[in-house]
Parts: sequence; structure tokens; C-alpha cells
Amino acid sequence: MYSSELVKGTLKTIILKLLSESDKMYGYEITQKVKDLTGGKIQLTEGALYPTLHAMEAQGILTTDVVNVGNRIRKYYSVTQTGKKVATEKVNEFSDFIDTMIFLLDLKPKMG
Amino acid sequence: MYVLKDEHISFILEDIRRNGIESEELQLDLLDHICCVIETEMLPDKNFDEFYRSIIPRFYKRELKEIQEETQLLLTFKNYYAMKKVMIMSGAFSAFTFIIGSLLKIMHWPGASLLLLTGIVFFCFLFLPILSILKVKEQKQSKDKLLIGIATIFAIAICLATLFKVMHWPFASMLWSSSLGILFFLFLPIYFFGGIRNPETKTNTIISSILILTAGGLLFILTNLRASHVTEEAVFNSDDQLRASYAYLSEQKSSDSLSENQQLLIKKADALCLKIENLKVGLIKSITPDGKEMAENEAIRLFSNKFDPVQSYLFAENGQASTELASIKKELAELQKLVQENTADKECSLISTENIHRSDYKNQTLSWEEFYFKGLPMENVFRNFNQLLVNIRIVVVSNN
Repeated sequence: MYSSELVKGTLKTIILKLLSESDKMYGYEITQKVKDLTGGKIQLTEGALYPTLHAMEAQGILTTDVVNVGNRIRKYYSVTQTGKKVATEKVNEFSDFIDTMIFLLDLKPKMG
Repeated sequence: MYVLKDEHISFILEDIRRNGIESEELQLDLLDHICCVIETEMLPDKNFDEFYRSIIPRFYKRELKEIQEETQLLLTFKNYYAMKKVMIMSGAFSAFTFIIGSLLKIMHWPGASLLLLTGIVFFCFLFLPILSILKVKEQKQSKDKLLIGIATIFAIAICLATLFKVMHWPFASMLWSSSLGILFFLFLPIYFFGGIRNPETKTNTIISSILILTAGGLLFILTNLRASHVTEEAVFNSDDQLRASYAYLSEQKSSDSLSENQQLLIKKADALCLKIENLKVGLIKSITPDGKEMAENEAIRLFSNKFDPVQSYLFAENGQASTELASIKKELAELQKLVQENTADKECSLISTENIHRSDYKNQTLSWEEFYFKGLPMENVFRNFNQLLVNIRIVVVSNN
């Protein structure tokens, strides 16, 4: 598992990328998906996830939908049009960042 | 998969609320999240309470409330930076326009009013409110929040009062006095008695209160700033002399052997002077309480510096001269024509009603009534009427 400092800087990018690839997701689903995709290497904490989701909703990047699930209410998050643009920007920025880090730290990318 | 009962859900929601999550949105998120965790991870034979207690610590480092605080921080921070940016930009802009505007104003150069107006409006309605909101957010005690609110209202009011005074707009003095009232009777007592109780802030509160009191007192001195008594008396005395000159000229007996035209001239001048005198009486009546009559010199001393009532008596709302003033202008023009046609004085500029070009100020061309009566206080309006009366008499006397 990576340190929370490392995950914190990329949390927004991860959430936006996941949400722009699917129609809509709820909080628990997001944490599980990240866990599955990374083989448990990245585990989003709830304490970081929800504040970020709410902030992005306030910024108009995300929008929410409320659905009744059995005896409780579930909030689904999805990206807005602006959010899609932000997602692309964030992913590009991060990709560029990785290239720079590889160069800076003199890392050899693992091939295959 | 474990199936949660309604009472479990109510219990979880209640627990979330009890632990300081106030935002309903966040409550829903966390409730669903915790339910999902229980449904997927809890074995059917496990005890709900035990399992619940074991998973809850995942959500925080110290206490559950952290999520709410982190959310609020992120939400306010987004606005915080934008607001701070707007505040600094509007502050810098208003400071710039204000400095340039006041420089133009003291030099009597054009553009001063527009710059001052823009500067003060930006300062009062953008900079000060944002500053106040940001400062209020920083404060924890409601007493401090209240103080910042009152201080902001005072600052806005005193800025607007200054603007109104400089622009000669109505209600400036009222606004000025009310803002000082807010400072002395609302802000200062709350600030002083609030701060003096705390031993840590006692000395600072006393010093700051003295500074505020002094600064406010200095502003209060400026409330009714006028010329010194000596200067005012000198102006009133020269007014008296002007009235005496008019009285003297009016009493000059004309010789018996006057031509018909000269007699007509005197008759017309008398009628016009009477009209002007009646207008002055009407004007004084419109200013005095209960509309009672008052001697002119007394009225001028009492109501000097009055703008609005005088102006609304002489000018209609559309800015045109009132019927009485317009008819005086018409008769004055007729009198001038009569003098030009029947005497050697072909110009007769003393009683001219032509437009006047002011090259010394804004290069404006003003009509006769605008030049002599518009936008002037009581004493100047009367001075110009009296000068006009003297001029009429001089023209008539010199042509007999």
C-alpha cells in the first residue's frame, strides 16, 4: 500500500478518471474499484474521498443523483461536461509529471 | 451477504449524527458507505454491534467529525482564494482611482467625480464586504463577528457620506452623522467593554479605544465645516450694502420732464423689480418653518448653505427654470431691448440674459438662469438677485 501523501495528490485525478469512464458511481463503489484495479495497492480512505467528492460537486465538476436502495438512500456521482475536460487535463498533467519524475529520479521504466 | 434491518440503519445514522456529522449530504454518503461495508464484509453469524465498532475507526484518524471539517475546509477554500483575489484586485483598483480622483479634485481638473465615484463604489461594495466576510469567517466568537459587521457598516457609511459631501448630493450630512453615531454609540461601547474584561486584551483595548475616539472626534469636527465667522459676517455685510445700494437707487426721484419712452422704461423696471422682490419673499417663505415671512438678512444668516429647498423653488424637476424665474428672464430681455432701442446704451450688457460661456471652468456654456442661480446655496442666489436689482436700477437711472 502506498503512503497517504502519495495518494492525496492524485486523488482528484483517480476519481475523475474512474467516473468519466463509467456512467455513475457511488462512494463505496469507487473505493472498491480502485482497490480491485490496483490489487489493493491503492486504498482510498473515506476521510479523503468524501470531502474531495463534495468539493468537486461544489465546483461543478461532478453532479449527484439520489436513488433509493432498499431502506436507505444512495448518492451516485457522475462527471459533468466541465468535469470531463478537467479529467483529461488532470490525466495529461499527471502523465507529464510521471515522465518528469522518471527523468528526475533516473528511473528505468519497466517494460512489458 | 448480511441483510441490514431498518433499526440498524437508524442506529448508524443516529451514530453518525452524534459524532458531529451535521451535513445531510455527508450523512447520506457515510450511511450508505458503512452499510455497504457491513453488507459485503460482515459474516451472517457475526454480532452487528461488534462489527460496527470494528469498522468505524477506518473512517478517521482521531474522530469521525474530521470528514465534516475537511469537507468544509475544501468548500470554503475554493471560495476563499477566489474571494481573496477579487478583494485584493478591487482594493488596489479603488485605491488607485481614489488617489488619482482626489488629486484631480483638489486641482479642479475634469474627470475627478467619475474616478472618485468609481473608486468609492468599488471600495464600499466589493472590497469592504469581501474583507468583512473573510474576517468574520476567521473569528470564532459571535461577539467578534458582530464587531466586524458593525465596523464594516460604519466604514461603508462614512465612505459614502464623504462621497455624497464631495459630490454635493442630498442627505450627505445625515449619512455622515449617522455613521459617526454608529461608531460612537454602537461600535465603541461593544469593543471597549468586550475587550476590557479580558486581562490579556485590556491595555490594547484601552489604547485602541482612545485612538478610535480621537479619530472619530476629528471626523466629527469636520461635520459642519464652514467659513469662519469673520468671513461669513463680511459676506453678510456686503449683502447688506448691496441691499442698501438698491434701496438708494430705487428712491431716486426722476425729473418731471421725461419722455414717454423714459416713463415706460421706469414703469417696466418697477414692475420687474417688484416681481423679483416677490420671488425673494416667496423663496424665504418656502424655507422657513410654517412658511412665515422673515427679513431677508435674517433669513440668509439663518439658512446660509441651504441648497435643496432654494433649488427646488427656482427650478422644476426637469431642470428647467420655474415659471416665475422664466417670466423674470423674459421681462428682463424685454427691458434690455427697450433700453437698446430708446437710449444711447446700445449694448446694455448689465441686464443681459444671453448664455454665458465659462472658459475658466469645464469650458461650459450656461444659460442665464443656470449661471446665476443653479446649484448655488441660498446666500449666493440672493446675492445674484440683489445684484440684478441694482443693475436694473443703474440702467434706468443712468438713462434718465
